[in-house]
Amino acid sequence: MQCKNIILGALAATIMLGSCSKSLLNTSPDNKYVEGNYWESEAAVDAALTGCYAVLTYSGMYGGDATPLWEETASPNAYNYSNSMGFNAIAEGTQEASSEGIIPTRYQNCYAGIGRCNSFLAHAGEVPLDAGDYAQMRGEVYFLRALYYFNLENYYGGVPLILDPPDEATQGDLPRTDRAVVVDQILKDLDSASSLLPLKYGAAAQGRATKGAALSLKARILLYEASPLLSTNTADSKEKWKAAEDAAEAVISLASQAGYGLYDNYRALFLPENENNKEVIFDVQFIYPDLGNSFDLIGRQYNTNAPLLGLAEAYEMNNGLAITDPNSGYDSNDPYKNRDPRLYATIVYPGDTFMGELVTNTRFSITGYGMKKYTVYDKEAASSDVSDLKSGQSYTNFIVLRYADILMMYAEARNEVSGPDNQVLSALNQIRARAGMPDITGTYTQDSMRSIIHLERRIEFAGEALYYNDVRRWKTAPTELNQKIYTYNHSAIESRTFDPARDYWWPIPQVQRDLNPNLEQSFGY
Amino acid sequence: MEFTIVRKKPARLKKQASVLKWRLLMLLCFSLSSLWLFAQSQIRGKVTAAQDQSPLAGATIHLIGSNTSALTGSDGAFTIAGKAGDSLSITMIGYLSKSLVIQGSSVGVIALQEDANDLTSVVVVGYGTQKKVNLTGAVTSVDMTKKEGQPITNASNALHGVPGLFVNLSNSQPGVDRATIRIRGIGTLNDNDPLVLVDGVEYDLNELNPNDIATVTVLKDASAAIYGSRAGNGVILVTTKTGHGQAKINYNFYHGVQNYTYMPDIIWDPIEYMKLKNQALINEGKDAVDYSDEEIAEYQAGMKTDPITYPSSNWFDIALKNGRIQKHDLSISGSNDKASYRLSLGFLDRNGIMIGPNNHEKKYSIGLNTSFKVSKRLTVGMTLDGYYRNYTQPFYTSFWSYLMRALPILTDTLEDGRYGNSWLRTPGRNNWENPRMIAYTGYGHKTVQRFVTSVFANYKLPFDLTYNIKYGIDKYDGLLEEFTPQVKTWNPKNPTSYINWNSPSTAPRSSNTDYNNLNQHFYQTLDWDKSFGDHHLSVMVGTSYDHFDTKNFDASMTGYLDATLTALDAGTERYSTGGNSTTDVLISYFGRANYDYKGKYLLEGIIRTDGSSRFADGRRWGSFPGISAGWRMDKEDFFPWKNTVNLAKLRASYGQVGNQAVPLYSYENSINLGKNYSFGGTLASGAAATAYTDPTITWETTTNYNLGLDLELFNHRLNFSADIYKKRTSNILRSVDIPDQVGGLTGPQQNIGVMDNKGLELTLGYHDHVGDFSYGVNGNISFNQNKVVDIDGQILYSYNTNLATITKEGLPIDSYYILDAIGIFQSDEEVANSPFQSVSTKAGYIKYRDVNNDGVINADDRIIIKSSSAMPKYTYGFNLDFGYKGLSLSVFFQGVGGLKIYPEGNLVFPFKNGAGANWEWATDAWTPENTGARLPIVTTSTDGDDNFKASDFWLRDGSYLRMKNIQLAYELPAKWLNRVKIAQFTIYVNAENYLTFSKYKDFDPETTLNVSSLYHYPMLKTLSGGVKITF
Repeated sequence: MQCKNIILGALAATIMLGSCSKSLLNTSPDNKYVEGNYWESEAAVDAALTGCYAVLTYSGMYGGDATPLWEETASPNAYNYSNSMGFNAIAEGTQEASSEGIIPTRYQNCYAGIGRCNSFLAHAGEVPLDAGDYAQMRGEVYFLRALYYFNLENYYGGVPLILDPPDEATQGDLPRTDRAVVVDQILKDLDSASSLLPLKYGAAAQGRATKGAALSLKARILLYEASPLLSTNTADSKEKWKAAEDAAEAVISLASQAGYGLYDNYRALFLPENENNKEVIFDVQFIYPDLGNSFDLIGRQYNTNAPLLGLAEAYEMNNGLAITDPNSGYDSNDPYKNRDPRLYATIVYPGDTFMGELVTNTRFSITGYGMKKYTVYDKEAASSDVSDLKSGQSYTNFIVLRYADILMMYAEARNEVSGPDNQVLSALNQIRARAGMPDITGTYTQDSMRSIIHLERRIEFAGEALYYNDVRRWKTAPTELNQKIYTYNHSAIESRTFDPARDYWWPIPQVQRDLNPNLEQSFGY
Repeated sequence: MEFTIVRKKPARLKKQASVLKWRLLMLLCFSLSSLWLFAQSQIRGKVTAAQDQSPLAGATIHLIGSNTSALTGSDGAFTIAGKAGDSLSITMIGYLSKSLVIQGSSVGVIALQEDANDLTSVVVVGYGTQKKVNLTGAVTSVDMTKKEGQPITNASNALHGVPGLFVNLSNSQPGVDRATIRIRGIGTLNDNDPLVLVDGVEYDLNELNPNDIATVTVLKDASAAIYGSRAGNGVILVTTKTGHGQAKINYNFYHGVQNYTYMPDIIWDPIEYMKLKNQALINEGKDAVDYSDEEIAEYQAGMKTDPITYPSSNWFDIALKNGRIQKHDLSISGSNDKASYRLSLGFLDRNGIMIGPNNHEKKYSIGLNTSFKVSKRLTVGMTLDGYYRNYTQPFYTSFWSYLMRALPILTDTLEDGRYGNSWLRTPGRNNWENPRMIAYTGYGHKTVQRFVTSVFANYKLPFDLTYNIKYGIDKYDGLLEEFTPQVKTWNPKNPTSYINWNSPSTAPRSSNTDYNNLNQHFYQTLDWDKSFGDHHLSVMVGTSYDHFDTKNFDASMTGYLDATLTALDAGTERYSTGGNSTTDVLISYFGRANYDYKGKYLLEGIIRTDGSSRFADGRRWGSFPGISAGWRMDKEDFFPWKNTVNLAKLRASYGQVGNQAVPLYSYENSINLGKNYSFGGTLASGAAATAYTDPTITWETTTNYNLGLDLELFNHRLNFSADIYKKRTSNILRSVDIPDQVGGLTGPQQNIGVMDNKGLELTLGYHDHVGDFSYGVNGNISFNQNKVVDIDGQILYSYNTNLATITKEGLPIDSYYILDAIGIFQSDEEVANSPFQSVSTKAGYIKYRDVNNDGVINADDRIIIKSSSAMPKYTYGFNLDFGYKGLSLSVFFQGVGGLKIYPEGNLVFPFKNGAGANWEWATDAWTPENTGARLPIVTTSTDGDDNFKASDFWLRDGSYLRMKNIQLAYELPAKWLNRVKIAQFTIYVNAENYLTFSKYKDFDPETTLNVSSLYHYPMLKTLSGGVKITF
């Protein structure tokens, strides 16, 4: 009896295992979707679009701890003593294909963004959506894809141009596409974007790409394309400058409709409480505690974007004269007196007051200077809830494109096209007036105006990750990045080198060439 | 070392040593005994095996009621002083004991029956047992009872030196000190951990009190095929102790002191440190130095009067201390014809070598092993083994990385006890991480309850059939509680000014993580065993079902007032929550048949079919066959050396096993959530694919070939065993990197190709005795060679590991792929005339070979170092045992060879991101005066400096030979013990890891493999003493 039962039981168990085994083996994850059933709802399309934006906050793009603030240290404006993300190696001219940090990270994350954009463009249409929403979403994605490709071609030169969803079999071995072809595609995407995108959004959609953002990015790209680095043929460079001027003008002409203008207070322009103000055309949105950056920690304490003496000295006196001008009234014993107000809004210097305390020579021990721009701190003691912001706790948005830049683009391009006319001066003086600086008056040659514009860009955008690209495209890098750098008290820190044959362009990361031998290396690496 | 090879006769040596009683402790005793002996007559006899009448050497003859004992010689004969009417007891390991009364001057031939239940003669082989003489596979068994006196914290740490096993302990932190075990090399690029079963149920080797383990059996070849898809890395079968015979109470105790084996030799002299750091900066072309001459002068002067402001802190002395370990084990066991039982309790208490309260471990174990004969046919039973354990660690688990970054100029504490800082600003050091502060403030507590319990029944059916059924549960509950405080360090020069410690971004913060896993295992088998004359056949078929559920949940809060109330609900602001759960399932059908003819020709066949939920439908099922054969040559009539050779067996096996250890759902293209962004100040939920997947992935299959020879000679005194094997793994699953241009995605898991491991394992042992003095020597060496055979022409690089390695056909897996350093530049002229390296290169820098002769040193000049970065070429172990009456001494050595390591980071490279440097940089680095130095010119390794590129200059020989354990034991004479009714009392002294020979001296060589940095708990050496008492 007993025996029979056990045998029966065993048989039953065996049969049960056999018959149910197929379904028993079906398990599925509970915390992620699978591709096959993802593109089915509007919410899924929304989330995929958000995923395309998310890359903006990644390391190597505009986020991580402080990628764009560190990018300034590749320029003559600042110094990164701990070589964060390898930016100091770029400043020194010692970057290599196998370098870690920005070179492989930016490359990867740009393509992560591009892959997401390509997937969106290929699949979003599978979901029935409101036609207007769908058009706008596509516009946003075209803008983002253009921005990601711009971040590749601008540093690495030609890169594989891929417009389809990620597929290793067909894309894994593609070689570099000619840079000009990539740029053409970017411009095409931006044209699509500007035709699909609205001028502005309601409060809940702040941060999404607008028509103005697409046109502004186009203006920046055309300006870069017209610059000496990329436009070696003088014959068509004029044409290119004209295209850049027109592109900048297109944004300016949009200003009243879109509400663009210069924000009254240069310092407050960068504070979180004034985010999305009228000067902001496109910014990267951070939020605490989920999506923070470390701008405040970097600026207040780590000092890994320490301003250099060269930048501090580049600021004019508030009378508009350079400190080297004997009539400027510059006092080398009191060097920070009566200077361009933007100095005080950008840099903390020995003798300054910062966060309620007198700044000693060793408060910022690396160069003596601290970078105030993009921190929430100023002369006053900070309120206790923000006095000690740590890694990932800052949420100041990073402005990628702002109206002042459009004005400066316009001035620069127009000076190249038609010389220093009134429109050039007017654009410049709007910016100076907002900063509290006297107008530029008088007559200038195209060359002397160019120098003024170069200086104005350096000052206006100090700490905003633009000057490194400016010295590259102007081809002033062989002088500006080929010299000793100094602390506040004129003691040398190190010598930087710049090899014009090699250093204008970044190498393709070694890992990528190992994985795809069809990728040709940039010259000299 | 006390493991035994199950194919040979039991190693009797150790037993001999321990059963020898020291009768003649004192001269008086000696004389008295001698006088007494004189009055006795010499009783003669011979001990044989009942089974085949062969003489048994080394059996113990004890005159009951006295302290007189004798051993049988090689012919089985013995003499002992005694007289008619006295009783003798005859004991021998592997055989049932016997006692008899002396009648006359000879007791004749005493035949001992083999003890069928004795674990040393029977080997657990998976869903059953097998007589070890009949084994045809490569199976090694370790007798854990022989390690009872040793301070073993986890069972995995007891397997060093087992042939074919590479055991590596890289982290000795109390609570997580678990060795990595590799059986016969690396067969996969995924999880290489062997499958572990405890009494037939899958479990974690380390969640079991080592003192409850009787044997550990390792299945290395086709014999593992019975475990099919999870046997690719070999199988470890653990058998827990059971009760035998008369009721016994056992108590074991040891107490030990621990300290580290190696630490780097750091520059703790502050002046020397500052000067060398400055020199490094100057050498690399910086114009600014960290410490001005004035500061150094002030420091030098201040050191004499104010050691708090101007410290010369040796942080290894400050932050490390002697650790302590103690262990108590109590067990009660016994058996009769109806039931057997063993109940055990264990308690381990450790206090590690780090200062402060965050380095403790406590483990409470319980073990229960019962079986009941309900009827003639039915036996049922239950086992339970488990821990309740907890350990503490600093809230910031990188304590060790901060210790390795601590500088001599950092003040320990101010006079009033506040944590110190430095008044000197060192670029790169934004967080003045004071190791004492990390050790004392905040906490990380982990509490684990884990047990495996099983119920089983076996029922004898008609026709020689037996039905077995077992259901086991492995339950894991873990809770990790962490509190991250907000702590200040103070400037010793200006004690009102503090610097917050910055790294934990949202301190004070509390977080809890709950782990909740339940694995269920069910199997049933039907056994049939029958002899037909000289033919013997046994067949087993079965099915099993394994179900794995893992769940975890975590939550963090911020907004704490201070560090006094740290519970989650004492916080005010939610910081984060998370959770995750997975399920996977395995269903199997299996069978095994064994046939032998006269015990001479042995044959075994195995088949297993597994279905796994880890693969896509249609690719889930795999079958794994195994076949093996053995030939007992010594049993042949024509075998010529029957008198000398006691055993000569040839074994051959072939079989396939699989590996399914890929991350769950690797086959499905998934869209991950959490790719968020904010619009209008509100977080929006985002999603994106982040990994590329290959839906066609399926099992890895390892085909094992094994050829073995076992020999026992000279009455089993000499044993020799050799195994030669080849393991071919095909369809290797590996995560493959793909170019970023494909959407910046991480690569897929793919079946990429074929890899071979070939090897040879040799074991040789000899033991004998001269009178009361016994000795034994046992050694083994295992060679393994790994080669990637076919990966479809691909070249795979490992970038994730930091180590620059390459995997390519014809090479060992993950071979180093680095620049070839060919010396040090002696002059700037030499730099100018050599291929371009970098703009910073100058005299004193490492010179690399321009392999492709293009005038530039870059990644195209990398060379392949034909050596795996992960596995040694050979491992070996040997032990020496000596016994004299109750006294025994055993020494165990263990080593690995042919291993290259590539340590990196702080204290390997100098002055990295504001860290310190080794003394060697002060004494043996290149300078214009010291051009023959070993090291290049000193620079900081912060910037991608030319000197610290991945090159063979920094490749180190990680081979080592270690005296793993030396143990002295003394078993008190029975005469003394009888009065207090104690059956056995042994005192032990152990020294573990006290002697290591290695060329690598910066850190313990064993701990540096596969970790590459020095930021982890160092290897410990232990000096311990203990007792073992049996009532």
